[in-house]
Amino acid sequence: MTDSHFSRRSLLRYGAYGAGAAALAGTAASWDRLTGADIPGRDDGSLVVATLGPAYGPEAIRTLTEGFRKSHPDIKLRINAVQATDWSDFFAKILTQIAAGTAPDLVYVATEGVQLFAQRLGVALDKWVKRDADELREYFADVHPSLVESMMYEGSLYQLPVEFNAADIYLNSQVLKRAGASFPAADWTRDDFTALLRDMKKSSGSQFTPYFWTNRLWGGVVPWLFANDTNLLSESKAPGGAWLWDSFYPAADRQGRGGGYRWTTPQATHERVEEAYDYLASLIQEDLCTRPEGGNGQNLIGVFSTGRVGVTPAGGFWAGGLNLAGMKPGSFDVQYFPRWRTQRMQFGAAGYALLRTSKLQDEAWEFIKFASRRDTLMRLFETNQTTPARRSMLTADRYREMGPSHWQVFYDTLDKFPDTGPIPAPPQVAEVEQVLLKHTGTALASRRSVAPALRRMQSDLEKAMERDV
Amino acid sequence: MTNTQIPAVRPQQPVAEAAPAPRPSARERGTRLLAALFLAPTIVGIVIFTVVPIVGSIVLSLFHWNVIDSPTFAGAANYREMVNDSTVLVSFRNTLVFMVLAVALQLLIALTLALAVNGRMPVWLRSVFRSAFFFPLILSAASISVVMKYLFNQDFGLVNWLLGLIGIAPVPWLTSENSAMAAVILVYVWQQFGFSFLLFVGGLNNIPKEIHEAASLDGATGLRKHLSVTLPLLSPTLLVASVVGIINALQVFEQPYVLTNGGPGDSTRTVVMVIYETAFEQLRFGEASAVGVLLFVLVMAVTALQFRLSRRFVHYQ
Repeated sequence: MTDSHFSRRSLLRYGAYGAGAAALAGTAASWDRLTGADIPGRDDGSLVVATLGPAYGPEAIRTLTEGFRKSHPDIKLRINAVQATDWSDFFAKILTQIAAGTAPDLVYVATEGVQLFAQRLGVALDKWVKRDADELREYFADVHPSLVESMMYEGSLYQLPVEFNAADIYLNSQVLKRAGASFPAADWTRDDFTALLRDMKKSSGSQFTPYFWTNRLWGGVVPWLFANDTNLLSESKAPGGAWLWDSFYPAADRQGRGGGYRWTTPQATHERVEEAYDYLASLIQEDLCTRPEGGNGQNLIGVFSTGRVGVTPAGGFWAGGLNLAGMKPGSFDVQYFPRWRTQRMQFGAAGYALLRTSKLQDEAWEFIKFASRRDTLMRLFETNQTTPARRSMLTADRYREMGPSHWQVFYDTLDKFPDTGPIPAPPQVAEVEQVLLKHTGTALASRRSVAPALRRMQSDLEKAMERDV
Repeated sequence: MTNTQIPAVRPQQPVAEAAPAPRPSARERGTRLLAALFLAPTIVGIVIFTVVPIVGSIVLSLFHWNVIDSPTFAGAANYREMVNDSTVLVSFRNTLVFMVLAVALQLLIALTLALAVNGRMPVWLRSVFRSAFFFPLILSAASISVVMKYLFNQDFGLVNWLLGLIGIAPVPWLTSENSAMAAVILVYVWQQFGFSFLLFVGGLNNIPKEIHEAASLDGATGLRKHLSVTLPLLSPTLLVASVVGIINALQVFEQPYVLTNGGPGDSTRTVVMVIYETAFEQLRFGEASAVGVLLFVLVMAVTALQFRLSRRFVHYQ
């Protein structure tokens, strides 16, 4: 048995504990607590727009929200900047939000996800585009039809492109000078490209890598496949789309246009695909370029700006990146991707996709129009972090302080090469990309490994394309 | 040394007559209630965050589900697909190879360093070593892997630059099928060995000095003393360290994902990477769950085997 009487000291101690607990409980009770409304987009009536976080900083978000509020004070807007490492990671997070019942109304979607969203989640914009045709005439006149076509799926339009990036070739002027080479001509060939890499290697030593590329769907092997007049998957166009072309584009621009791209049969074992891989394998064997696993965009700006890399494929987005890294105009320049069998180039574009689950579809359409307005994009893309989809925004003024000197290349990749097209991104894009990256790594281990790796790639692509998403 | 392990179940004492259990006093009831209250948050947490997801995964593995549409019952189709998928099979092989090599290296380094740190040295220096070896463990595995990716880059990495200074040609650390797994294991072990190291330091401190002194009097020295005295007495700690090490190694994800993304080819693709890719990139949550269930069974089987073997090799004082 213990003594049930409290001593004075115990009484004081327990009293202090009690007072402390009461204070803690009181403090906790007085704090604002999270409720369902604090979950982005849930139950507060806002129009929720999900964007790729790293591409949309706080300044961009402010531009969008404040600008939209001025135009549409009646629509409450919330920008949900989703942090992700790449588009694939971004789509995975958006799909998780949808599964969790917190689907946004609009999602910023790049070419990689256009068909996946269109097929499974998106709403066609056709009825609104037709309704507001007069208002949109100025937009379509300013945007290349290839970009618009890349946002169509089976005859319907799912997004208005606001930005794009084609894979052009950036060249380090200091490295060019060191190699005694002149800036390449616009119609340079694959052989000119190889000769330039050899000259650069000779003049810059063993610690130098002439050609840096990243193993990914955009800007990896695909530009070489396009230049060799082939593709990873057979490419065709869906019927339809005349409603749009006839309404907004002159006859010359309508030719060959359809209802969006179709990527169907895998053709990894096609001889031209094998040629492209053989070529890259030969560059690796000659120590003229990075191996696929060695190149990643994270350290690219650093090694390019310090002259340890000579050339790399990139889009208009890199002008801003190199400027931030301290490169002055004149210290780098850009040229088209070299010609092989053709000089067809590849691009990726992005815009806002409207989700079927949205209860604010009319409001979302208003945001889509607002986000594709010239004044909005001018404020949004001040730092040249991308190539605007509107041709009129690419001016000498824009690139005077940052470079490159041949900034016209960015839009001329579309205007002067009208067959330039989007990267192959069917609804099964995630698995297709994974198969491409995996087998590209094995294929380029040596020249002899190209054919067996492409056979395995073909088999895996066939399985991926058979699968219903 | 004899095996004096305590039997798991004590032999029951014969009971002359089953007497009714005495009614617990108010104080005992209060103590039990208090115990239940203290245990409740943990139990609720385990049920919500462990039991429910495990059961959920098992159920989900029997369905096709792409997040967008409603799940459809698939029976054993996901399991059939899994065993016919070469990527899944390769990932299991990679994970097992990784587990064996990484855990062996981790335990060896940790034990060697623990013995060294436990030797004669100033107390402050011992503290410095303990902190230094444990430090990588508190860092994010993804951050470490990003830094290591820069260091091991074949063309621009510091490691190859340093090797170049002594005339060694660039090593394709992350770009060759032969060396990529080795690089992933090195990075993983560098970060993880600190935990085993701390366990071993604690275990070594618990070995009574008298036993070492007795062994010395019997003529045991150096390696013989460690093999015959230290290791058997440290075997319970070794068991804990290896069980934890194996469970962690079987779930490795960050290092191969960041360093090599599973490549070149599939040479460093692990089971958890396949689960992530299948579920969150390809939207095949049912198949990903089936792979997860198989990994769960594998972890349980390996752990059970370890405990089974431990009856022969683990010595309790």
